Amino acid sequence: MPHIKRISQSVFFVLTFAFILFSACPTGAQEETPAVAEVSQKLFRADRTNVLIFSLIFAGVILTYTKLAKKGKPLFIRKIAGLDALEEAVGRATEMGKPVLFIPGLQELDEMETIAGISILGRVAKITAQYDTPLMVPVRYPLVLAAGQEAVEQAYIQAGKRDSYNKDCVRYVAGEQMAFAASVNGLMMRERPAANIFMGAFFAESLLLAETGNAAGSIQIAGTARPEQIPFFIAACDYTLMGEELYAASAYLSHEPLLLGGLKGQDLIKVIIIVALVVGMVLILTGNGTRYVELFIPK
Amino acid sequence: MRTLLPLAIAFISGLIMVIAFFINPEQKTVGTISQDLLIWSSIIGGFTFLLGAISITRVNWKQVSMRKPGWGYNLLTVLAVFVMAVPALWPAAWLPSGWERLAGRNAGSIYDWLFLYTATPMSQTMFAILAFYIASAAYRAFRARSTEATLLLLTASMVMLWRVPMGEAFLLFISPDLPGVINTYIMGGISLSVQRGIIIGAALGAATMSLRILLGIERTYMGRS
Amino acid sequence: MNIWQRLAGLHRQWIFILVWIAVIFPLIVPATFEISTTPEVKALYDAVEALPDSSVVMLTFDLYPNALAETEPMTRAALHHLFRNNHKVVTVTTIPLGGPSVAERVTRELAAEYGKVYGTDFVNLGYKPNYVSVLKGMGSSIESIYPADNSGTPLGRLPLMTTVKNYADIAFIFVVTDNGIIDFWISIVNAQFGKPVGAGVTSVMAPKQYAYIGSGQLTGMLGGMKGAAEYEQLVGKPALAVTGMGIQSLVHFLLIGLIVVGNLGFFMNRRSQAKKGGGA
Repeated sequence: MPHIKRISQSVFFVLTFAFILFSACPTGAQEETPAVAEVSQKLFRADRTNVLIFSLIFAGVILTYTKLAKKGKPLFIRKIAGLDALEEAVGRATEMGKPVLFIPGLQELDEMETIAGISILGRVAKITAQYDTPLMVPVRYPLVLAAGQEAVEQAYIQAGKRDSYNKDCVRYVAGEQMAFAASVNGLMMRERPAANIFMGAFFAESLLLAETGNAAGSIQIAGTARPEQIPFFIAACDYTLMGEELYAASAYLSHEPLLLGGLKGQDLIKVIIIVALVVGMVLILTGNGTRYVELFIPK
Repeated sequence: MRTLLPLAIAFISGLIMVIAFFINPEQKTVGTISQDLLIWSSIIGGFTFLLGAISITRVNWKQVSMRKPGWGYNLLTVLAVFVMAVPALWPAAWLPSGWERLAGRNAGSIYDWLFLYTATPMSQTMFAILAFYIASAAYRAFRARSTEATLLLLTASMVMLWRVPMGEAFLLFISPDLPGVINTYIMGGISLSVQRGIIIGAALGAATMSLRILLGIERTYMGRS
Repeated sequence: MNIWQRLAGLHRQWIFILVWIAVIFPLIVPATFEISTTPEVKALYDAVEALPDSSVVMLTFDLYPNALAETEPMTRAALHHLFRNNHKVVTVTTIPLGGPSVAERVTRELAAEYGKVYGTDFVNLGYKPNYVSVLKGMGSSIESIYPADNSGTPLGRLPLMTTVKNYADIAFIFVVTDNGIIDFWISIVNAQFGKPVGAGVTSVMAPKQYAYIGSGQLTGMLGGMKGAAEYEQLVGKPALAVTGMGIQSLVHFLLIGLIVVGNLGFFMNRRSQAKKGGGA
């Protein structure tokens, strides 16, 4: 498996390097082989060169930090209160003899937020398996159902509690947004879970779920990358993960070097973006920003 | 094989889509492959609805057959699935003459009637509950416990007034420029920059996660850590 | 429990009753208000006005039935505007439940009002799963994604679709949505294919769209029922959204009143507790 990863990384870089070479051929190459240059100009979309350069920088930084993390370099992550509270929330549920409700968002499996939610579900399921706390995971899409069941089953196996795993703890509730919210609200009022964990993409039903959970007396931890839903979760939940904190959860909870490295790489990219913004601001304020801005705008 | 095959498929199809992004669309091979992949993806998405229908039927029928508490609602759920789906899929040619309108999903069909007169009012009722919940959440959460909380509730109050004609009239009474200031400096200034920050951060997080999935580092979506 | 404690800890049932009254009262005693136009709505209106005659506009019905109170007035006002200006309309949706039915009902109703013919002046393509594939795929070929329209008629038999092959043949994309699909219309269709996009979104989503308006990725925006009311006024067809402004105004005032009352109770409570603590 490590060999396949190395090979795939190498192939990826070779191909992208080939594009740069092909498309950014100096005039010498064009003079020597005009047919090749003509084909290369037709092949590569020159208007997307800026995106290619940023993508290469992005991938390079992420992979470099991942390599550094693998070598054992210690990487610092600040405390994220919502993620620290996950184990406390499950512990509360165990003491009260009540279940934990986990919702991995209301989007399809191809959404990054849902994948982040499923990743956190795996960690939470491991804790509930260890504490023998019932877990309820209502989902909205069939693929999320399959992924959720797989994640929870693997978590229970890793915790050595294969026999405690109940396949129906992850259930497909409804495909429609408000039908899902109505069903989960009913579940909350009947079962009175001690802890509600909302991690993923949410829409209008975010406040419906959070307020009902509040009325049911549950401790609530929410995380979403949707800026428009964050205020509702902040108003109604005890802990809220905002934006990229949701994506950082997987790395934060597992402390796996590969994932932590990616997180640090992300931070460096943000620094690069901030520097670019400051440089642009200074140039525009001094009246020299036109050419700089054109570097970033698609032609 | 169970782990290797999905990773290989994820890597190859992701790589093709990345390459296709930088290739001229007139270029036949990669353009065709990427377009085919998009169509396949759309077709596979359609099949997942079948998976959902089977799952919802299986889970609810199990509750009904074991007569678990509230099994009547589970039976209603199963019936609702079939009552809505069967007329929508029923071939119009199989119906007696004059009854063809009832089949399919066009206006006047059973499916359309059920959507208009059951699904829509029920969804809208649930959405309308938000108005009440927002009131109780705002009443509970908007307390001036600190400087930041005070700033939050003052800004929220001003924006709430600005968004309705009666409130805008009240703001105009205070100052004729106030609505414009709110639009320009709060919505188009402070709020805009905060939203941008969150969007950029979330986009970077999503891009990192995509790269990890592409390279097989992130495998939790397969149930593997 | 003194009055301040009651005010600070008002039970939610009382809040719900007050909201109910605030919603019902304007329906019994209707009132009309002058609705000013925000720059974002004006920009969207002007963008549609500036389109050449008989331009093809893609109007999306990416909406669920639950938010129809905010989104349907937008679609109606948009169709009034587009049909009045003699533009051709192609409707699509990425939402299976709601989108196709609402699109069918609203477009046919308004098309009849303007004497528009299906297949020549407007087409409803319906729904296809996996919206990313749909949005990207339409950039190359609409027919490869939608071989037939919502009723099953092959696109080749619709006169309008013989001239509309992909985004290059579409002048403007008018997205009406109540979910995050707008981000994909912008990042895929606007950013990758360069098509101008205007949006009608719910009021909860409106603050986020200012970022896209500021960067020029969105031409204009209708934000919630107020945005729909402004657009209805500009188009000259005041309807449900304009009527709803009275209700929305009263509810907003109620919310502010509740916040003031809650804070009053909170502060007076805190002061009396501080006095008791100081006295002891």
